[in-house]
Amino acid sequence: MSANRWLATGNYFTSYREEQRIFFTSLDRTAMALFILGLFLWPFFIDVGNKYMLVIDNILIAVIAVMGLNLVTGFAGLISIGHAAFVGVGAYTIASFARVFGENHFLLSHAWPVMILAAGAMGAFFGAIVGLPALRLKHLYLAIATLSFQMIFEWTMKFMDFFNQGQTIAVGRVFWLTGEVSRSAHYIFWYYAILVLIVLVGFAVRNLLRTRYGRCLIAVRDNDRAADAMGMHPGLTKVYAFALAGFLAGVAGALHAYLYRGVGVESFTLHHSINYLAMAIVGGLGTLPGSFMGPLAIKMLDMQVEQLSEWASSHLAFAANLATALKPLSFGLVIVLFLMFEPRGIANWWRIARSYVKLWPFRY
Amino acid sequence: MTQLIVSDVTLTFGGLNALSNVDITIEPGIITSIIGPNGAGKTSILNCISGFYHPSKGQIVYGERTLTHASPHQISNIGIARAFQNLELFRGLSVLDNLLLARHQNLRYSLLHAIIFFGKASRLEAENRAYVEKIINFMELEPYRKSMVGNLSYGVQKRVEVARALTLAPQLLLLDEPMAGMNIEEKEDIVRFILDLKKEWGVTVVLVEHDLGVVMDISDQIYVLDFGELIGSGTPQEVASDPRVIEAYIGEE
Repeated sequence: MSANRWLATGNYFTSYREEQRIFFTSLDRTAMALFILGLFLWPFFIDVGNKYMLVIDNILIAVIAVMGLNLVTGFAGLISIGHAAFVGVGAYTIASFARVFGENHFLLSHAWPVMILAAGAMGAFFGAIVGLPALRLKHLYLAIATLSFQMIFEWTMKFMDFFNQGQTIAVGRVFWLTGEVSRSAHYIFWYYAILVLIVLVGFAVRNLLRTRYGRCLIAVRDNDRAADAMGMHPGLTKVYAFALAGFLAGVAGALHAYLYRGVGVESFTLHHSINYLAMAIVGGLGTLPGSFMGPLAIKMLDMQVEQLSEWASSHLAFAANLATALKPLSFGLVIVLFLMFEPRGIANWWRIARSYVKLWPFRY
Repeated sequence: MTQLIVSDVTLTFGGLNALSNVDITIEPGIITSIIGPNGAGKTSILNCISGFYHPSKGQIVYGERTLTHASPHQISNIGIARAFQNLELFRGLSVLDNLLLARHQNLRYSLLHAIIFFGKASRLEAENRAYVEKIINFMELEPYRKSMVGNLSYGVQKRVEVARALTLAPQLLLLDEPMAGMNIEEKEDIVRFILDLKKEWGVTVVLVEHDLGVVMDISDQIYVLDFGELIGSGTPQEVASDPRVIEAYIGEE
């Protein structure tokens, strides 16, 4: 008696362990494997140039950051308006190290995976500290607490000599098995590094969500009184959620520092925090696929609008002022439209499309 | 089997005495009901026992342990579970996940195990899933196993609420109006579950309920509260003939 593992029909399970699987059909699993393989292979066939590779790297870094934000805001329901500051904590961990020990220190250039993890740990540490008010505060008040961290972070960076008053602190080139990563290979190298990390982090988060460490997040979001009665400390669970988000943000920050080979405070402002929130909302709060789709959608939109406004200002000189306003305008408009018409985000379209394909040719 | 003793408990909100000098003893293995008119302090006493409120005076002792200042998660971890009057379910989760959340303390694996998943986390999740399935069978929730709780009907949600409390594997189960707003059939179902709980699982049940018919039928011991004061106690027969209880419910002639 063997179950049909390729399609949804006739795919039955005889033990609870079988039912834990992430991909219920082999078709899903194969599609995912091919998709990931495709992500690794396409640079061999298509040359997009450094400019667009940088954009792609940026999207991938935002994916990691938004995954963190989605854990705390989407799953645990705690609005964080200071996520860019946590990303900044990760980036400045690398920068401080470069400033104290030199930008080409052995640990920085050779042991960069360790440094990225350390930056993540630092992010988690600060996340936990900023999350402490969650023991007492709720909802909007907690959001304001995270906003205050964002402000403190920006001011500290801008006014402390150690952090070069927010000006760029250089970070050296890294080494790989083949030697120093050259200028021409820099962006493609980091593309692969970040991609590997995303695959690892993505599956880690997916695993987390099917265990008690993921369920407790949703529990405190939906009902923290009941969560308390279920034997978990709701306050500490929230602190843990912030630490988790801080970790991923810290990792994203470290990657940002390495990718740009420098850290300046202008990449971690309130504006960026709002941007991360927008990505999470557009992607779909409380969904894992949303963390991938949101950054992609927002960054693509940014790029398209930028091109459009460039074109507009060159052809319609009188509208140049309006064209520069196009970017913030479209950004705001997209968020409002999503909140009004699809609060569950792009991930919901994905869900609908999937269920349609799964049932085709039947309607329901 | 452990006895729960509420002795001389007073609970004040500002100048209002929600409970004044209440003494209740809950004997193990039986069904104890707490009744009284609206605002009598029935839910307050459950809140005190389950740690959501802390009495301003008096003591709550469970076996050897004093619960007076313990918090809800500590109390649920020593085997006192509670179902809420107004549905307090995790609406964004399936019935299965709601119940698995009640196994939170029994899933003893570390964060690292959870991230790797295969191995210890997977094994423990499957074991606890088996336990949850036992509860699902008992509460007859099989058709709703994977439905989102927020989409279920009120009666079923109430049943999930009781099932979730039961999944904590309690020795003492506090039920706060489990039959409120149900039709007669759903009430009969819940009554059957409560009686089975007592008989087959040996769980001590504390029931707060408005439906006097049900209370008189299934309780072994009844406490009557009115305006935060204990006005009567005893077996159903004793309570039904107590003049103070009749006065509180029906009023003077």
